[in-house]
This record gives sequence, C-alpha cells and structure tokens, in this order.
Amino acid sequence: MDIASLGGELLGQIPFGDIVLYLTPFNLFMFAAVLIFTFLIAISRTETQVETEFGTLGNRRVEVDTAEFRVRRFLAVVCGLATAGAMVTGDLFNFTLFVALIGIVNIGIVSAVRQVEVLDAAFQYGLIAMMASLPLFGGAALVLGSSGTLSLLELSGMAGNPMIVFASILLLMGVVGETGVAPFYATKAEMFRTPGSPFILIIHLSSLLVIVRAIEVLLIVSL
Amino acid sequence: MMVPEFTLSLFQPAIYTGLIAGFIGLLGISFQKNDLSALIITDIVGIAMLVIVAAVGTDLAEALILPGLVVELAEIMAISEILISREMRILGEVPVVEHRPMELEVFRTAPNFLALILIAYGVFLTGFTGGAVAGAGILFYVATRRARGLPAVEWDGIAGISGVTWCLWLAGFLIFFIAPQLWLPALFMSGCGILIKVASKMGLIGVLAREEIREAGGDE
Repeated sequence: MDIASLGGELLGQIPFGDIVLYLTPFNLFMFAAVLIFTFLIAISRTETQVETEFGTLGNRRVEVDTAEFRVRRFLAVVCGLATAGAMVTGDLFNFTLFVALIGIVNIGIVSAVRQVEVLDAAFQYGLIAMMASLPLFGGAALVLGSSGTLSLLELSGMAGNPMIVFASILLLMGVVGETGVAPFYATKAEMFRTPGSPFILIIHLSSLLVIVRAIEVLLIVSL
Repeated sequence: MMVPEFTLSLFQPAIYTGLIAGFIGLLGISFQKNDLSALIITDIVGIAMLVIVAAVGTDLAEALILPGLVVELAEIMAISEILISREMRILGEVPVVEHRPMELEVFRTAPNFLALILIAYGVFLTGFTGGAVAGAGILFYVATRRARGLPAVEWDGIAGISGVTWCLWLAGFLIFFIAPQLWLPALFMSGCGILIKVASKMGLIGVLAREEIREAGGDE
C-alpha cells in the first residue's frame, strides 16, 4: 500500500546509504511521544514509592536501592530509544532488529528485582521472546527472498503476492510474541508486580506503539 | 545468471527445513516441564530462524545473519542469567561446588604441539575463521597445565594488542572505501587485524576460566 495513504504525506527522506528513513506526520508524532517519555524516564528519580495496600486503607513505602535502579533506568532509556528507532526506520530488517532489542531490554528491566515470582515470569517471557524470533526474522527473510528488497519505500510500490502475505503473517506473529501482547500477555502480567513504575510503563508504551507501527509496516508490505 | 540453478532450487527446501525444525522445537518445549531443558530447546528454534535467514542466500542475507545470531546469543544469555538468579533466590545460601580439573591424557602430553598446529593452521586460513582456529589453539594452551604460570601482565598486553589490531582492521576497511586500487594491502591489513583480534579474544576466555579456577581454590 502507498505510504502516504497510511501515514499522511511524505515529509522527507533521510538517506543513510541503504537504510532510508522517511518521515510522515504519523511516524513523527509517535517518534516525538517516545522521545518525550524516554526523557522523563532519564530524569526521573523514583527510588522511593508509595504503594496502596489491598484490602485496608493503609499505604506502604517501598524503597529500592540506587544501584539496582541505575541499571533499570539505563535499560528503560535503551528501550525508549529502540522504540523511537522502530517508529521512524524505513528498513524492514532494522524494524525487526529494534523489536528484538525491545524484547531483550524488557527482560532486562525486570531481571534485577529480588522476587522469585517476577523472575519466573521474566523467564517465561524470555522463552516466548526467543521463540518469537523465528517468525520475526523468518518473516523478514522471506520478504527479502521473495521481493529482493527490504526498503519500505520500494516495497510500498510493489503489489503483494501470497509469499509476502505469508511472510507478513509470520512477521506479525513475531512482533506479537516479542512484545508480549494478547495471547502471550499472561507471561508478562506478573512482571508488572515489581516496584519501579516508570520503568515498567515503558514496557507497556513500547509494545503499544510497536504494534501500531507493525500494522502500518505490514499494510505497506503486503497490500 | 551468476547464481547456479542448483543454489536457487535450495531456497524452498531450506525454508521448509527451518519451519519444520522450528515447529519440532516448539513441540518439544510444550512437552518439556524442566525449565533448563525448555531453555536449551528454545535455542533450536533460534537456530531454525538462522536457517530461514540463511536460505535467502544473498549478500544482504549474509549481513542479516550476524545481527540475528547476536540477538539470539543476547537473549539466551539474559534468560539463563535470570534462571540462575531465580534459582539462587530460591536456594538462599548456595554451597560451594568442589572444583575437579579435567584429567585428560592429551592435556599432559601434547599441549604445545596441538596449540602450535592450531595456531599455524589459523594463520594459514587468515580472517575470521583463522582467528577462531588460532584462538582455539591459544585457549587449548591456556587450559592445559603448562600455561598456568603466565602472569596477568602478559594477558593485559594481549588485550592491548587486540585493541591495536581492531584499529588495523578498521583502517584496512577505510582504505577499501577511500582508495580501492590499494585493495591488496587493505585486504592484508584487515585479514591480519581480524585474525589477531579474534585469536586474542578467544585466548582471553581461557584466562577468565583459569582465574575462576584459581578463585575456587582449584589445582595450582
């Protein structure tokens, strides 16, 4: 499908050799939203939190030491940057790489906590993310194999064939597994019980935005 | 046509092989209740992914395999780290495991000879593969008894050489782009650079293992 009919008019291109970034109002809006949120995470200090206790009227003060938070903040910033990259990239394989990176850092953000249940959930999510790399990279490779290019600008000009539609379905399965949405959400839900609100929120935000962008990419590629 | 017909005909069988291998791997995971085994079988699914990427068989696909492999390695390392830390939280205080060195005949009799052959063969191959072979030679030498006396300073020096040869590799590639007519020296520079770089890095793995053995109070 044409890029302009999905994301608004083409504002410009940034050619980095093979990898051509392109800018549409749709991409730019999501890119800016992620960058603003990443900036908020980078400057936030959330070592101390107040949690509401369930069943009573009381509140509870939770403290996490700075050393643990420093790693998680760094990984959250990396996750934000990877999401921002996935928003503007014009190269299908870079998109899959950014999605895979989001999957890895999501595991990393929760892996520093000291709760067995959370680590268990992170392990299951990690297994799903690893399994999802087969349809993710396999789909991208099939698109390359059947069309000869990975540039979204060129793919948007081509008509889809059954092979590319199959590759798009594989790619969508990969993105769904890697970001842990609908059928795989159970593997991720326990992870949100860990303290550290903004860092957990970036996991949500990245999967939402990546799914929206993935649908745009798949429509461009397969229609 | 540049690519032989036979190579092109391999595309579909390779894709099917990858998908079937991945499917068998997924079945295995669904049957498996042991976490560690599930993790190891998951690696098979990842390798099936590499098969599908490799099936495309163009220069671009070749450039895609490396990131795919890196992603795969990073994921398996992260998940196994999580598994270890979860088990440690469950166990609490972990008893120290007694270290028992490998007792192999070849470790006592022929470390110099085998290491020399591996390094010589690696130099003969040059490039990334050669670096890996030569590195295996160094690794073998370090793992065996003879090399235990090497001081840490020497290994720091080898790490430094690794950095220098990395620059050599980069400079070689720069020459490729700036002055293509000097391709032979550029090829030589990058070939030697990557050889020594990979070899020294492989050797350092051995040093790390040796230091850990020493810390665990192993054989010295």
